[in-house]
Amino acid sequence: MRETPLSNCERRFLLRAVREGKRLDGRQCYDYRNVRISFGPDRGCCVVELGRTRVLGQVSCELVPPKPNRATEGILFFNLELSPMAAPGFEPGRQSELLVKLNRLIERCLRNSKCIDTESLCVVAGEKVWQIRVDLHLLNHDGNIIDAASIAAIVALCHFRRPDVSVQGEEVTVYSPEERDPVPLSIHHMPICVSFAFFQQGTYLLVDPSEREERVMDGLLVIAMNKHREICTIQSSGGIMLVMDQVLRCSKITAVKVAEITELIQKALENDQKVRKEGGKFGFAESIPNQKITAFKMESAAVDTNNVEEQAEEIITKADPPSEVFATPILHAPGTAQIGEGIENSWEDLEESEREEEVEEEGESEAATSECQRMETEDTSTISKDKDEPIVLSDSEEEEVVILEPQEVPNKTRTQTTSKQENTSKKTFNKRRRKKRAAR
Amino acid sequence: MAEGGKMAAGSGKMAAEAAVGQVVLPGDVLLLPARPGHDAEQLPLGSEAAPRGRLLCGPGLRRCAAGLLVTKCGLLRHRQPGGGGGAAAGGAYWVDSQQKRYVPVKGDQVIGIVTARAGDVFRLDVGGSEQASLSYLAFEGATKRNRPNVQVGDLIYGQFLVANKDMEPEMVCIDSSGKASGMGVIGQDGFLFKVSLGLIRKLLAPKCEIIQELSQLYPFELVLGMNGRIWVKAKTVQQTLIIVNILEACEYMTSEQRKQALAKLSGN
Amino acid sequence: MEPGGAAMAAAGCCLRPFSCERGLLSRPDGSAAFVQGDTSVLAGLYGPAEVRGSKESPERATLEVLLRPKVGLPGVGERSREQLLRQTCEAVVLGALHPRTAITLVLQVLSDAGSLLSCCLNAACMGLLDAGLPLSALFCGVTCALDAQGAIVLDPTTRQEQEARAVLTFAIDSTEKKVLMATTRGSCSVEEMQQCLVAAQRAADTIFQFYRDSACRRYSKS
Repeated sequence: MRETPLSNCERRFLLRAVREGKRLDGRQCYDYRNVRISFGPDRGCCVVELGRTRVLGQVSCELVPPKPNRATEGILFFNLELSPMAAPGFEPGRQSELLVKLNRLIERCLRNSKCIDTESLCVVAGEKVWQIRVDLHLLNHDGNIIDAASIAAIVALCHFRRPDVSVQGEEVTVYSPEERDPVPLSIHHMPICVSFAFFQQGTYLLVDPSEREERVMDGLLVIAMNKHREICTIQSSGGIMLVMDQVLRCSKITAVKVAEITELIQKALENDQKVRKEGGKFGFAESIPNQKITAFKMESAAVDTNNVEEQAEEIITKADPPSEVFATPILHAPGTAQIGEGIENSWEDLEESEREEEVEEEGESEAATSECQRMETEDTSTISKDKDEPIVLSDSEEEEVVILEPQEVPNKTRTQTTSKQENTSKKTFNKRRRKKRAAR
Repeated sequence: MAEGGKMAAGSGKMAAEAAVGQVVLPGDVLLLPARPGHDAEQLPLGSEAAPRGRLLCGPGLRRCAAGLLVTKCGLLRHRQPGGGGGAAAGGAYWVDSQQKRYVPVKGDQVIGIVTARAGDVFRLDVGGSEQASLSYLAFEGATKRNRPNVQVGDLIYGQFLVANKDMEPEMVCIDSSGKASGMGVIGQDGFLFKVSLGLIRKLLAPKCEIIQELSQLYPFELVLGMNGRIWVKAKTVQQTLIIVNILEACEYMTSEQRKQALAKLSGN
Repeated sequence: MEPGGAAMAAAGCCLRPFSCERGLLSRPDGSAAFVQGDTSVLAGLYGPAEVRGSKESPERATLEVLLRPKVGLPGVGERSREQLLRQTCEAVVLGALHPRTAITLVLQVLSDAGSLLSCCLNAACMGLLDAGLPLSALFCGVTCALDAQGAIVLDPTTRQEQEARAVLTFAIDSTEKKVLMATTRGSCSVEEMQQCLVAAQRAADTIFQFYRDSACRRYSKS
């Protein structure tokens, strides 16, 4: 699908607004949109909303052999998907440039910053390690995908619990959640991306650009940082030249934003932990806001299934009994078998009638051809109806036959029919047809 | 929510008159009152003596054997026969639904974005399934020599001359007498944004409260396209943004909430 | 794991708590999240929109359904469910009103705790409703499980599905309670299947009432 084009007036207005320090949603230049985190019923599942941008994160794990050059380290795998529901321009299964760029940035932010202790994921050195897989799905695109995705990834990783394992000699036992409590991943620090959009060669900057702001920006700077003010990755794209002061200013802003977001994440994780411990309600149903008129909830509803047996019985007795006819298998050759020989050929009935009424048959056969070819239009069907009436052989009648001819009879016949008299030509034509049918 | 329980779950069959103003769902069947001729007890009164006026089956409704079949979710609306004054003598039923995607309708006035100039026509994105075409001669005073100055990315306010499901939609920027009557290229300033089609219809209704209340704030220019696009231009960026935000918020605000919000604004 | 799970298991003829939210995504033309107990599915829908060349049909709208799993890439299981969902949607969408257009329905699994296909069906229907596409009727999905004793469990959880002898999912239309789609797993007799169908039809009443109440709430301010 095509993305709605950006009009000139929107572009002009947005740039003018940036110059005046105004933003569409009333934010200041350095304001971040609201971040909302909700957890699913499973461990390691979360939805992060950054304004109207929405990302689903899910962590899963699997025991796999390690990479040969890193025998004692677990494997971290990140996969961000731009779901076609997120924006009309996203096509399923296409590795767009944007997607590759985002995936690479996520990997650099989370894997290369060594935020997860991969050595603790080793079960048997050189044989079995945990592979931690982080699936991120963009559900709605309203700008700044990378920040939302990086928050979702780290939240999902913090929320995740892997099954406990024990090693006795050669044997590896994986415990179910009932046997032993699953264990959290050991996370050293939480890197979070913060994006800056630049306008007019870096003169103006906006934190956390929205989708429309992204469409008119000149360049983008992404800084990943943890709350200890350590820069984990930094990337500038769009080909703008930034002065050092700008970058320094951005890194200071990042530090503030990261501290805020980290606090929010920890609070959200604590809340969820508390609810789970106390046996309260959790999961996505709880994250649907009650007061919104677009949302609606229903408590567990009982369905009366008392006399379903009787009703079902009634339906079955009313229904026609299944036919008792069983075809015997037919053996044409050793090693083959078939049941039945299909339905009777309806063409033969036509043949019979043809013999009786040579002339009248025309109409029927025409109807039959229209049935089998499905190419005939309504006009021809009306013609064939007309022909049910007694027909006097005439030139016009003959012409109609000739119209049909090229479909049915090869060219050779055509030359023959024209060379003969009208009446006989018709007969040969019919004969030809019959032969053809018999051959089918 | 209170009125919701009246109709049984699943297939609702009820008299069309009783359902007016209520929420209807696809699959509901609205039963039409029997024609006066069939009903012996009802005396034909005055205008009713003539065969009943045509009944218009508006958006979200389809004719079926039993009456009208609802195909969209929304509130059932009805306009009394003769109320509209003239051509449509019968009443009209339609479903007022909230949707985002626009489907071109002949005569609708919409805002299009020029995406290409192809020979004699401009291609316009109107938010439908297909781009609309607009001849460069379909502007007031345009001739082969005197072409309108339209660039790719410009906004155009025009109406549909041809719009049906099987053909490419065609737009014009003149009325039947060749006058622009407000249509044409929209100015270079101002801002364009999108709202739901339901809100646009509400705003375009005669004597719309929202527009009247807004117009008391400060002067601004406003173009409303039936395709959900709104173009606003006020004196400053700030003022334009305020209008944009109020109109966007109107989607889910009751009139009291809106009045409060506006009172707060005019107080500042 | 689930609160009140034991009570629910005792009374098999119970639907888990339902909730839904419509229009929660800003970009798609229609969107809905549907939650059944701990199972939840998000639907996003575009259309009637531009159609790509090869898929264009001069007769009707081209309906495409994409089911996205939470982990990994879509596989054979998703493909077959997409087919079932697409055929169900095609039965109610009046596609002939929008020829040469595409309707794309994307379903994202948010969490699977049993009865996933019926939750997908319900989310799809809510999505179609929210997008305002012309429909001849509504539909809902009901999953029934038959336990070892042959008792019917409506809207089963993952564990109930695993313990069940057979799991049957029906899509039921709102006008005549007819079956639009049926898929079964495991073995059951014809009588049992009819019983499940009758139970599903009764559950459908509850679900359609839920649809209606949620629609009434949605339009309560306009």
